[in-house]
Amino acid sequence: MQPDQRRPPRAFRLDDLNQSFAGSASEKPRGPVVIEAARDPFEAEAEALMAARDIDEEAVEEAQQRGIVARSLFSWAGLFWSAAGGLVTLAMGLWLTKLVDDLFARAPAFGAIGLVLASLAGLALFVLAAREIAGVLRQRHIADLHAGLARARETDDFKEARRRIGELASLYAGRPETSIARAELRQHAHEIVDGRDLIDIAERTLVMPLDLDVEREIARAAKRVSVVTALAPKAFIDVIFVAAQAIRLIRRIAVIYGGRPGLFGFFKLLRSIGAHIAITGGMAAGDSLIQQLLGHGLAAKLSARLGEGVLNGLLTARVGLSAMAVCRPMPFASSRAPGVNDVAPFLFSKPDAKS
Amino acid sequence: MPLISDLLFEARAVAQNLAEYASGPHIRLGVTGLSRAGKTVFITALVEHLTKAARPSLRGRRNPLPVFRVLADGRLLGGALEPQPDDAVPRFAYEDHVAALTGPNGRVEDRHWPQSTRRISELRLRLDFEQKSGMRPGRHSLAIDIVDYPGEWLLDLPLLSKSFAQWSRETFIASAGAARAPLAAQWRGYTVNTDPRAKANEDDARRAAELFTNYLRACRADDYSFSSLPPGRFLMPGDLEGSPALTFVPLAVEEGEIYAPDSLAAMMERRFEAYKAHVVKPFFRDHFARLDRQIVLVDALAALNAGPAAMRDLETAITDVLTAFRAGRGGLLSTLFRPKIDKILFAATKADHLHHTSHDRLEAILRHLTARAIARVETVGAEVDVIALAAVRATREAKVNGHGEPALDAVIGTPLDQERIGDEVFDGKTEAAIFPGELPSDPKRVFAGGPLAVLANQIDYRFVRFRPPIPARGEDGAPFPPPHIRLDRALQFLLGDKLT
Repeated sequence: MQPDQRRPPRAFRLDDLNQSFAGSASEKPRGPVVIEAARDPFEAEAEALMAARDIDEEAVEEAQQRGIVARSLFSWAGLFWSAAGGLVTLAMGLWLTKLVDDLFARAPAFGAIGLVLASLAGLALFVLAAREIAGVLRQRHIADLHAGLARARETDDFKEARRRIGELASLYAGRPETSIARAELRQHAHEIVDGRDLIDIAERTLVMPLDLDVEREIARAAKRVSVVTALAPKAFIDVIFVAAQAIRLIRRIAVIYGGRPGLFGFFKLLRSIGAHIAITGGMAAGDSLIQQLLGHGLAAKLSARLGEGVLNGLLTARVGLSAMAVCRPMPFASSRAPGVNDVAPFLFSKPDAKS
Repeated sequence: MPLISDLLFEARAVAQNLAEYASGPHIRLGVTGLSRAGKTVFITALVEHLTKAARPSLRGRRNPLPVFRVLADGRLLGGALEPQPDDAVPRFAYEDHVAALTGPNGRVEDRHWPQSTRRISELRLRLDFEQKSGMRPGRHSLAIDIVDYPGEWLLDLPLLSKSFAQWSRETFIASAGAARAPLAAQWRGYTVNTDPRAKANEDDARRAAELFTNYLRACRADDYSFSSLPPGRFLMPGDLEGSPALTFVPLAVEEGEIYAPDSLAAMMERRFEAYKAHVVKPFFRDHFARLDRQIVLVDALAALNAGPAAMRDLETAITDVLTAFRAGRGGLLSTLFRPKIDKILFAATKADHLHHTSHDRLEAILRHLTARAIARVETVGAEVDVIALAAVRATREAKVNGHGEPALDAVIGTPLDQERIGDEVFDGKTEAAIFPGELPSDPKRVFAGGPLAVLANQIDYRFVRFRPPIPARGEDGAPFPPPHIRLDRALQFLLGDKLT
């Protein structure tokens, strides 16, 4: 407000509003004073907060805890695999040294070649292991970012939001198509924008395009699966096809959101997705399972194969959505999490609309 | 001698700390604030919320502390007051303060803010909660020790590092400022005519101390609202009223000069040192040397009302007081032997006196006010946050339309008796919508300006104090915890990481 339209402090009594009118500037009233009760901002904030802590978000974080970010220091299974792995490694080493020794005994040239090959294999193994670890750590970083952004948005934390948004932007630093969004975010971070608003802006500009990509991927996979299932001559072919498609879809989604899952990272991811489906399964029953069964029934009336195709497509879409929720570096905040109907509407369209 | 006493001091602190560490997880929360900053109300509201939040009678109501995660997750099992660890210190009169806020004996008309604190008191609060993560999930409890004390006493902490001559000089310089000079005139006149080398005389000393005390008292009046007024026991003597430890005054002494043992200066210096050794140091050692978390409550609104001089004075007082505390990131060894404050929250209290749209500006002003203190603790690794807080919220918000002007963002509440805004004087019974004016967007502006308050018709803002809110009661007649602004955020910041 400009200094020339200074508004002095004033008081308005509530009991005798229109007669007594007091203020440090004594002027004639130019009309009746009306006091409107305003919606309480703190209550509204609290409500928004309670709403923000929705079950979907909790399910995602729980799922991430069980898979991607699970870091139990000790478990019997872990002990078994470590010990067994150690034994196998020892056996391999023994076998390798023996082999090289034998080769040397036969001819020094063979021995040298064997040694070089063994060291090359060792080097490659080392690099692969490093990539595995980097992949796991990267996926964990994304899950951390997800939880941190959820927390920062919930508490409207000015500083924390800026820090996390910086991390988010650096996650996509290698993607030229996000450069405009990142530059915009950097600029907003220097201005006075509330923590919550900044996160919403980031979601709209940076993550939303990725969401669209992911949804497209899911739709494509679902379509492919349902068509192949409907047409496949043997049952086990479509089982293999569905599994392969699901694996491919999960990897694609992780990569689109900036992850690089290797083998172990993928297993962890798979565990999280499984947990997510298990947790949200009950919730999904409410909205899509009915339709699912209904759709299945309608399609099954036309043809059993077609019904199975629709069901497999739904399953793939469901896995894709869970993967999306778990891999996404931030919670669905200003935007709504897509449902099966959004990504694969073609599975639900009624037979009459289809024709 | 000072070395030995310092060593003893440290040894005692370490021993107390180890004893407490062995007795289970606990946290010492330092509620720091000058007088009238709202310490007692903050502690009362905190206890009220934490002890009642998990009660069955409150279940099903809207969660009053949504940001406080342990409660929002449903993991807070209960909270209860426990016998405090220190038997020599009175218990915090929590029930009396709640009764004062809600109206004693159920008479709502009599509700009032708790009286200003006259002596030290302590309480221990135990929270039972379900641990979610960590090595041992399951039921755990956390003891929280909180101390309430007269805010004036806090002003003594900076004295610990000062000599008599240094303190005298600083007091004289401060009292010569344009705003304080008229208030200090009588005492200064008396002191100028006193020769520090003269033979000590108890009557003179008493007379001088009386004038000095009057000067300090005058500085505290609402119109001036000065804060930096050590020594604090002169304003709030507690059980030391009339003791010789309180009859000393600053004198125009030369630093480094040795005065004859029977001279006035030597006597005053002796008393000053005795005051430090017997009053300030035990107070600091027993209650502040071993804090884990700290909340600094600042009543910026009273100082804003009084003008730039009071704001600058408040800044000095807060910065000085905070240098006495140990901040830093805690490690295992330091938690065992030398606890450090690893999280400090600066809170501008009474945020309910202005509309929420002004809270950002209030926070900016507080950030500016405590900038030096924040910079100091951030360099040693402590975590700092600044919020606008109201532990008990006495107002609701409204928009005032009319007179063909843009709508004013006002707060509605019952102003205290004798509070004034413009020509209006309130009687403490009627509700009123108050538009307190607008804080400047540049926080520096409230610190710059002449020593005197601006004329009544030119002020940009004026904050009136309100009566406590009328309490909402449950079916059993027990009052619900009072409404608040961002108390949950403060709790989450201060305690949240211990309750995961």
